[in-house]
Parts: sequence; C-alpha cells; structure tokens
Amino acid sequence: MTPVTEKKDLSLLAKGHGLPLACFAVVAFATPFLLSGNRYFAFVAGVTMIHILWASGMNLLYGYTGLMPLMIAGLAGISAYTVVGLTASGWSFWLALPVGALAASISGIILGLPSLRLKGFYFTLCSLVIQTVVTLGFIYFSGLTNGDTGISQIPLPSMGGGQPLSGLAYDLVLSAAAVIGVIVLIVIVKSTLGRRLIAIREDDELAGMLGINVTGYKMIAFFIGSLFAGVGGALYAPYIGFISPRSFDVLISMNIWLMVAFGGRGTIWGPVIGAILLAPLSFLLQEYYTVKDILYGLLIIAVIVLMPAGIAGGFLRKKKESAPPLDVPATPRGAK
Amino acid sequence: MNDILLEVKAVSKRFGGVAALKGIDLVQHRGETLGMIGPNGSGKTTFVNVISGHTKPNSGTVSFDGRSVSGTNPFQIAKAGLTRTYQAVRVFGELTVRENVATALVDARDAASQEAVAEIADWLRITHRFDKPAGSLTLMEQRQVELLMRLVQKPKLMMLDEPVGGLSSAEVRTMIGVLSELKGRCTIFVIEHTMKVIRELADKVVVLMAGEKLAEGPPAQILADQRVIDKYLGTADA
Repeated sequence: MTPVTEKKDLSLLAKGHGLPLACFAVVAFATPFLLSGNRYFAFVAGVTMIHILWASGMNLLYGYTGLMPLMIAGLAGISAYTVVGLTASGWSFWLALPVGALAASISGIILGLPSLRLKGFYFTLCSLVIQTVVTLGFIYFSGLTNGDTGISQIPLPSMGGGQPLSGLAYDLVLSAAAVIGVIVLIVIVKSTLGRRLIAIREDDELAGMLGINVTGYKMIAFFIGSLFAGVGGALYAPYIGFISPRSFDVLISMNIWLMVAFGGRGTIWGPVIGAILLAPLSFLLQEYYTVKDILYGLLIIAVIVLMPAGIAGGFLRKKKESAPPLDVPATPRGAK
Repeated sequence: MNDILLEVKAVSKRFGGVAALKGIDLVQHRGETLGMIGPNGSGKTTFVNVISGHTKPNSGTVSFDGRSVSGTNPFQIAKAGLTRTYQAVRVFGELTVRENVATALVDARDAASQEAVAEIADWLRITHRFDKPAGSLTLMEQRQVELLMRLVQKPKLMMLDEPVGGLSSAEVRTMIGVLSELKGRCTIFVIEHTMKVIRELADKVVVLMAGEKLAEGPPAQILADQRVIDKYLGTADA
C-alpha cells in the first residue's frame, strides 16, 4: 500500500499551555501588590484564588472525568474543620494543611463510591444528598465544629513560629496555591492519566474494553479532585477568619459547579475564567441579598439552556468543526 | 505453546425468563478465523458480551490463552489480549482520531508505540484523518479507527461484531480485503450476516439458533447444510 504523505505528523502529545499559564501566573502574583492599597479588593481577589482552586478540582471531576459531584464544598469543609481543630490544639498550620487536605481526599474517595454504580444525573442527585448530610454533620457534631455558631477568630498562620503572616503575604500564598493547582491540572490532563479520565467521560464501557480500569481511575479522580477542595478549604478558614456549616453548604457547591459550567468544563482556562467572573460577584451583590439568589438561579438556567459548553467551550466550538455537546453521544448507540 | 486460544464450556445466560444462551461449547485455535452466524436474537452478541466480560454468564466457563477469565472485568480481559468491536460503531466521537489512538496506548510518548501507530495507520489508510473528531468521519473510516485503536494494543484475539454492517458494497469489498490482511496480525472471531464475508474469511463457522449451537464446521459444508438453509439462510434474516 502507498503511504499517505499529506499528513505525517503522528505525534500523540497534547499541545502546550505555556503562554496562558505564564500570563495567569503574572496576574495572580501581581494582583495582591496592585490591590495592596485596598484591603477589601485584595480580600475579594484572595477569595477568588481559592475559588480558582476549587473550580479546578471540580473541573477534573466534572469536566474531565464526566462525574458531577455537588459536594465539593462539603469536602472543603471537612478539611477546614480538620485544620482549624488541629491548629487550635497546637499544630502548625503548615503541618495541619496536608493532613486536612488528605482527610478531604479520603472522604472524597469514600463519598464518591456511589459514582461506580450511579450514572450521570443519578450520581449528581446522590452527591446532593451527601452534601446535605455532611452539612448536617457539621451542625450535629458541635463538640468539634461548634455547630451553627461556627468557629470565629481563626488567626492567619505564621511562618517559622513568628508573627502571623501579613495580609499581603497570605494573599501571595493563595495566588501560589491557585497557580500550582492550575499547573497540576495541566500536567494531569496532558498525561496518560488525563487521557484515560477523558476516555471514561466519553464512554466508560468502551474505555474498559480498551483495558482502562474505570473503577480505579474514577477513585484516583476523586482523590485528586477532593485534594484540591481540601487545600482550598484549609486555606479558606484562616483567610476569612470564620467558618460555619453555612460556609460549606450546598449553595457553595452549586456555585463552584456554576463556575466550571459557565466558564467551560473540560477546558483548563474556562473554569479559571468562571471563578474570576463569578467569585467576586457575590461580594459585589452583597447588599442585594435577595436579588443575588435570583440572579444565580437565572444564570444556572441560562448556562444550561444557552451555553452547555460554557464560555471557553463556545470559543473552542468556533475553531473546531462539528463538535456536538458533551452530553450527546456522537454515534447513536442502538443504531445499526 | 498451547494451540487453543479460546475455550468456552457450557456457557448459559438468561435475561429474566428468556434464555439467550443455552450451554454453548466452543473452541477456537490460534490463527483460526472463526465465523459466527445466526438470525437476529439468536444470542451472537450476548455470546461476545459474555466472553469480553461485559455480561456475566449464569453458568459455564471461559478460558482465554490458557487462563480462566470467567468473572473477570472487561479491562482485565482486554489486558490479557482479547479485544472486540461493537455492532454499532463505537469511538470517542468528541475526540480526534489522534486522541482516540492515544487513549488505547499505555504510553503515547513511547517511540515504539508511535512507530506501531504510524505503521498500522498507514496500512489502514487513515493517517490523513488524524486531526478530525472521530465522530465526524464516515462509518467506514470510524470502523478503520476502531481497528487502529485495537491493533496498537497488539491483541491476540479480535472479536468483530458485524464489521461490515451498514457499509456500501464497495466498502464491504474494501473491508474484506482489510480483514483478510488482518489475519496476519491477530486471530479473528467474526459475527456477520453477510455470507460473502464468512465465505471469504472464515476457516470454521458456528451457527447459533435461539441460543443453541445448530451446526459447526468449514464454511462450504455449513453453508450447504440443509438444516442451516432451512432455518437461517433461506429466511429473510440472512
């Protein structure tokens, strides 16, 4: 047979994210300095960084593995309460952080087990129930969490046993966490692991037939996604200085989902953009409390109906030819 | 080395009150192309599903390449070197052909794998489609992608569920050519309704009828068997 010569590039490697990553890192590290004159704006930016981390973790599960757990906030809460408890009993924050994140990861694996049996919407519904139970757990075990009252006056951590970090220094820690989170996601997505997760998202039966351990990889996805949630939760507690069950309830989980869906699931930068646009919104709308919830509801409906692939997805669609939405199998299964 | 590649003993499968497979025995030797024919609903796809681990049989055993694979997961069976295609073509439609192939590999950066991919893609003449979403290709091209994804894994046995289903007569001829060359790369088990495919490729034919093995033998003998003609080939199904 004559070899086809028109296209010889058979490299199987994914394209790079170097330039957008460099831009993001510069902006992330410059923002705390630029906003250092205004503590409030710097604080909003810091919270946004935490949400970028959460959205990236959710993106790994929802965007790349095709699972939609609405319990990311609950997992973040498990980590936050663990870290606050440990630091209160004398632990260094920097030692408590990995322990808390690991607690979230292990919880994520256990609470993610229903995803092995339940598909799509049914798992999402189940995760919603899990999230609610976790929130109730935070209220019920008031000996550890101080119940509905919450835990206040959580100090910023110190570096090397000295004074607590300044606001600016901690802002930089948050920026670093967000940048590292995005880098980790890029590395995963470009690796064999990432390709296998995408295969599971697209068609888990076919993935299994190709020798991919679907159960194992779903568990790995939950471990890593929950780790993102846990690190974010651990960093969140001292930054806000106050945590309560409401800090990690179902609305927060929905909010993180919205950032991923609105920005564009299954793309690296979509959820980052989603977090940058939506995380500050709740601060801007703080005075219009009732309007805020209505606006979020409308936004959720708009995203589902008008832009199922999100901002980044809509942008990519224009570049790529004939790509149907993620939920629709490209080939009718039952067709002959 | 053991000459028997696939050995199925007394496999039965019921779906509720319907017996889809009733105690099927089957032996396939290494390098022997086995064709399976039978009317719609006779249990052919269920049979493949049981062997590939997608469906758990109610009773019976399956051993592949000298090891029992009864009750193991599809991914473990795939790793043992048994691969299959589906009746309705099944690729990762959203992903490009390149990404589809990469998914099938353990390490897409490995130079030997890349060489294997290039060689097989050239042979299948699908190289020029590498950057297209697999779902946007024609049915024939998607079938080629299916073969490519499996061949890069160097399978020992490839089970094809109606490989020419839905193809035009010109494409059927091309596919028969591809499949006869495929015999040099792995052992083939093929389900087909198109007798041309069976006649030209199969060394041995098994006829399935209502979950039971009706006949087994060389194609010339089976296709001339009066029972097979009466119950299957003479009907509208064939």
